[in-house]
Amino acid sequence: MTQVVESVRQQARDVFESIGLPGKRDEDWKYSDLSRMQTVLGENWQQTTEAAGIDVDSVEQAAIPALDAYRIVFVNGHFQSAGSTMPDGVNLLPLKSLLQQQPELAADLLTPHPDAPLYNGLNALNSATAADGLSLCVADHVQLDKPLYVLHLAQADAAGKTAAMRHGLMLGDCAEATVIEHFVGLDEEPGLTSVVNYSHLKQGSSLKHYRIQQESMKQFHIGRIDVRQAADSSYKLHSVELGCALSRADIVVRLEGPGAACELNGLFVSSGRQHVDHHTRIDHVSPHCSSRENYRSVLDGRSRAVFNGKIVVHEGAIKTDSAQSNANLLLSKNAEIDTKPELEIYNDDVKCAHGATVGQLDENQLFYLKTRGLSEEEARQVLTFAFADEVLTGIDSTAVRRFIEHAAFVKLPNLTDLEGLLG
Amino acid sequence: MLKIENLHASIDGKKILKGINLEIGTGEVHAIMGPNGSGKSTLSNVIAGRDGYEITAGSVTYNGKDLLEMSPEERAWEGVFLAFQYPVEIPGVNNVYLLKAGVNAKRKHMGLPELDAMDFMKIIKEKAALVDLDQSFLSRGVNEGFSGGEKKRNEIFQMAVLEPALAILDETDSGLDIDALRIVANGVNKLRSPERSIVMVTHYQRLLDYIEPDFVHVLADGKVLKSGDKSLALELEDRGYDWVRDEVTA
Repeated sequence: MTQVVESVRQQARDVFESIGLPGKRDEDWKYSDLSRMQTVLGENWQQTTEAAGIDVDSVEQAAIPALDAYRIVFVNGHFQSAGSTMPDGVNLLPLKSLLQQQPELAADLLTPHPDAPLYNGLNALNSATAADGLSLCVADHVQLDKPLYVLHLAQADAAGKTAAMRHGLMLGDCAEATVIEHFVGLDEEPGLTSVVNYSHLKQGSSLKHYRIQQESMKQFHIGRIDVRQAADSSYKLHSVELGCALSRADIVVRLEGPGAACELNGLFVSSGRQHVDHHTRIDHVSPHCSSRENYRSVLDGRSRAVFNGKIVVHEGAIKTDSAQSNANLLLSKNAEIDTKPELEIYNDDVKCAHGATVGQLDENQLFYLKTRGLSEEEARQVLTFAFADEVLTGIDSTAVRRFIEHAAFVKLPNLTDLEGLLG
Repeated sequence: MLKIENLHASIDGKKILKGINLEIGTGEVHAIMGPNGSGKSTLSNVIAGRDGYEITAGSVTYNGKDLLEMSPEERAWEGVFLAFQYPVEIPGVNNVYLLKAGVNAKRKHMGLPELDAMDFMKIIKEKAALVDLDQSFLSRGVNEGFSGGEKKRNEIFQMAVLEPALAILDETDSGLDIDALRIVANGVNKLRSPERSIVMVTHYQRLLDYIEPDFVHVLADGKVLKSGDKSLALELEDRGYDWVRDEVTA
């Protein structure tokens, strides 16, 4: 390993040494307890695994069907060429190659940022240990002709339990790209997936980002998404949480140029003892920017969800237009949601709306469906599905949307006619 | 078909229906008129089976069965339909799905096989034409973003598809302009049949200019005060509701 990379790795280890794992004493972690993760993963849980290849058939089986995209396959955090199709004419490299070919760039991507909002020790560990990932640069005025589909497969591995990846994405002026991140667990072995994702959107560029977390019920997932947006750029995220014992994502967006717009959509469907936690933070640094947040959760069993949405409107960020909504459906009396909007506004000329609801299904809607002949149970299922589906309406890839709907549907109580419902 | 005897109902301890007696024969069209707060909508809701009403006395018999013992969906399967005064918006559930689920649940209840998609769509298109409902509405969410008039048309369209034996139209004329009223009334008239009973609950006489009832009942203070033929409706239009009350108390 080159000097420059080793020095960044050491810097990251030092940061981790000093801040450690987040614990209950951290306000941002008071509902999410990592002690269960440490217990389940045991000693040496930080160790990065070696890649054990997966045959193409298994890759196909796990992948979103009928998706016309460039596919990049990772197995336990390591790029695998079998089953991958790289786009031409775009600057795309696995991090492992970048580390060898352009160590300065790789070091830059791996640099820890302990002063960033919502930064935690696991992010530092990711800097210290991430063996692979993706580095994508889309040049000015280039539109990626197909989505980039990043399929991450996790399976039991004797070498270690943590897959740490780091992705860097740079969109040039007026560049456009769609990135689909899909996390799939291939077996029921416990493990940790740690992903840190840096995106830099230059002026007028547009990124659509889909993130589908479908790992096994024994896995842990710690994600971090950092987005910096220049003037008139657009970032649109749909994040869907279906799997894992515990899944945490910290999503940090900085609107740094006038006219930048971001949209964060989230859907949690949880059951059993699942725990899912999204902390989002949007910084309106520049005037005339807009942000939209729409999070929904459907919680069954003894599952628990946390949504914390912080919006900071900086001094001078006039004409800020921000709206946040978080709606939660509790299907069981033992399910729990902790939802908290946080607004910090440092100028007068802004429009900020937020609202959170926690509840059961609407009695009027239930009655209406029953008078049309739907049974109580079917009416409940249909309304639950429709509630969850609302978050997905902005997804413009039918293949992606249908896939999520089916994946979410199998977690809901049985519906008899999903295809009919989807119309 | 439907026999209501001495029906008393309250909501949150407040007495709304205070001894309703009413008999609806097969194929008859009845109008129930009354001032605001007379209990018209409560009666519609009790017949359809909405939760929250306490039946303190009396009975409702439908085709010889105790209607009050049935769940709302069982009533639907047995042929009872309520056109809502305020149709509910259900984003994310499209109209076609709702109707297909409704029709097939009823067919299953009757021991009939489910309709296949082709046959079903054929029926849907036929019935949509009855109320001039644009086909683009079919694939949209139930009543989602519909105007007031479109919602009422959608109710009658649903009635046409579900083919009830007993249809209760709760204030179907409210909020309609004259053109929309004519379309809705035409739709209802086309659905009149010797096997189908229709009960129109309304505040105003004007609906009855378009849908001619066989019988008219005046409901006030939770009771049927007076029954007659369609000429009673005209008299109410002229003289208001108070004279009926005065006549009864006199």
